[in-house]
Amino acid sequence: MNRTISLTRTAFAIRGSRVRRAFMAVAAAALLALSCVLAGCSSGSTGADSSTSPAADGAAASQGSTLRVAMELAYPPFETKDDAGNPEGLAVDFIRDFGAAYGYDVQIENTAWDGLIPALQTGKADLVISSMTITDERKQSVDFSDAYAMAQLAILANANSGVASIDDLNQPGKKVAVKTGSTGDVYATKNLTNAEIVRLADESACVTEVVQGKADGFLYDQLTIYRNHQANPDTTEAVFIPFQDAEEWGIAVKKGNTTLLDQLNAFIAQSKADGEFDRLTEKYLAEEKKAFDEYGFKWFFDFE
Amino acid sequence: MNRVPAIFRPFIARAGTPVRPVKAALNYLAVSMVVVAVVWASLAAAGIALNFDFIAQYRVRLWDGFCMTVGISAASLVISLVIGIAVAAGQGAGVLPVRYLCDLYVKIIRGTPLIVQVYFFYYIIGTAWGVDNRVLAGIIILSLFSGAYIAEILRGSLLSLDAGQLEAARAVGFTRAQTLRYVVAPQLVARTLPALTGQVASIIKDSSLLSVIAVIELTQTIREITATNYNFFGGFLLLGALYLALTLPIMAVSRHFEKRLDYEH
Repeated sequence: MNRTISLTRTAFAIRGSRVRRAFMAVAAAALLALSCVLAGCSSGSTGADSSTSPAADGAAASQGSTLRVAMELAYPPFETKDDAGNPEGLAVDFIRDFGAAYGYDVQIENTAWDGLIPALQTGKADLVISSMTITDERKQSVDFSDAYAMAQLAILANANSGVASIDDLNQPGKKVAVKTGSTGDVYATKNLTNAEIVRLADESACVTEVVQGKADGFLYDQLTIYRNHQANPDTTEAVFIPFQDAEEWGIAVKKGNTTLLDQLNAFIAQSKADGEFDRLTEKYLAEEKKAFDEYGFKWFFDFE
Repeated sequence: MNRVPAIFRPFIARAGTPVRPVKAALNYLAVSMVVVAVVWASLAAAGIALNFDFIAQYRVRLWDGFCMTVGISAASLVISLVIGIAVAAGQGAGVLPVRYLCDLYVKIIRGTPLIVQVYFFYYIIGTAWGVDNRVLAGIIILSLFSGAYIAEILRGSLLSLDAGQLEAARAVGFTRAQTLRYVVAPQLVARTLPALTGQVASIIKDSSLLSVIAVIELTQTIREITATNYNFFGGFLLLGALYLALTLPIMAVSRHFEKRLDYEH
């Protein structure tokens, strides 16, 4: 017994030093990789807004102060990332133009949907622009700007489900996929009381459920439904018949931050008048605009 | 030890001697109060007002979610024990394909995040083989996941058994069955029970990830509720408390086994 133990100990000692050396090498490599990534990130994400002013309080509107913008970069082409991982999209351009006009350093924070409103409430972000619909429930937690865009809900139906209208979906035995907390979720919870509602964390899971027939329909905005139907033409049908009033998207700020809200409202009004939204449409959504015109849908920025 | 000033003596335990229950309880209480105070101060500093009014409103859904979490975890525990024992045995099998299959299973499960396994199993394997029930799929996924860890726990303690004992057992004329019954099994139980109990706590926590395929367990229930009332902090703090209500007693049991079975071999 004793002999075995001492032998094992020696083996351990030898292996110990080797392990330690290997560990040090790995740790060094990891540190190197981490610093590269960090350097890459900071030089990449700051991009156009890389001047280094001290972060001022969110409510301050002084020249050169930082504007922390929270959005979920998971909704192309409004909020998304380019191939290198930098924020990109219509809303990204829009808020950067706002920052340029009012002298803010725009700093974009990618935040999961569930965390957007809490980010405002805890002062981790100054505003949220994330294709967020203005609702009474959300107004209790945050203040909204005037609407900068409008959207309609639509249905992505499974091709074999026989769903051709919202009423077909509101039947016992039908399953409706929605993204948790989205306006589709709110609508379904309130109005589709006969159907079973399946709440999922992200859109791709909802689409997969419909494609595979696990769910009969997915409620989301027209653009997402249109795109996912294009991507799955054989397994899905798109139902575009409007079944409620258009939803208005607003920019959310912390309750009581009127300084920022006034600036945002002024900039939105100016953008509607001077063709900012037409330029952004041309840049990001030229093809979809054509399809929407063919269907006769109202475009995101058609206010009257 | 006499050099310790009298003020500090209530907080000091001599190494290797048991702490008197009253002393232990008072010290634990003091530590808990400090933790609560830090949390309280953090909430105040972050400007977060907690609100738990929603509990009464949603008590039925919360209770359903709680039961679902307990049910899924219990079912997964049983199935993963069976899987774990089979795989641990299989890893020592003489038939090489069996041995390597078990080995590959453990490596793949332990080497990939649970969320990948959840999506992969539910949307690919489950769809291909007709497992469409979310709860059933969730239990299978969690069992497969936990089974690999249990197999590792069992294999680790099997390996730690001294080969000399088996020789000794044979020398005194034990049959294979007797060796297993009187020599191997007692030691295996003593060495694995604390770790296995700890695994139960892991299963309970890991079941929260089944929310991504819309199994309405505790985490998904809280997600759905906070999505409608925006009471993010109240919801998730309650969620943590509910999981602790399940895992703390289990950890206490694990610790109990550790002490109880910690005899010299």
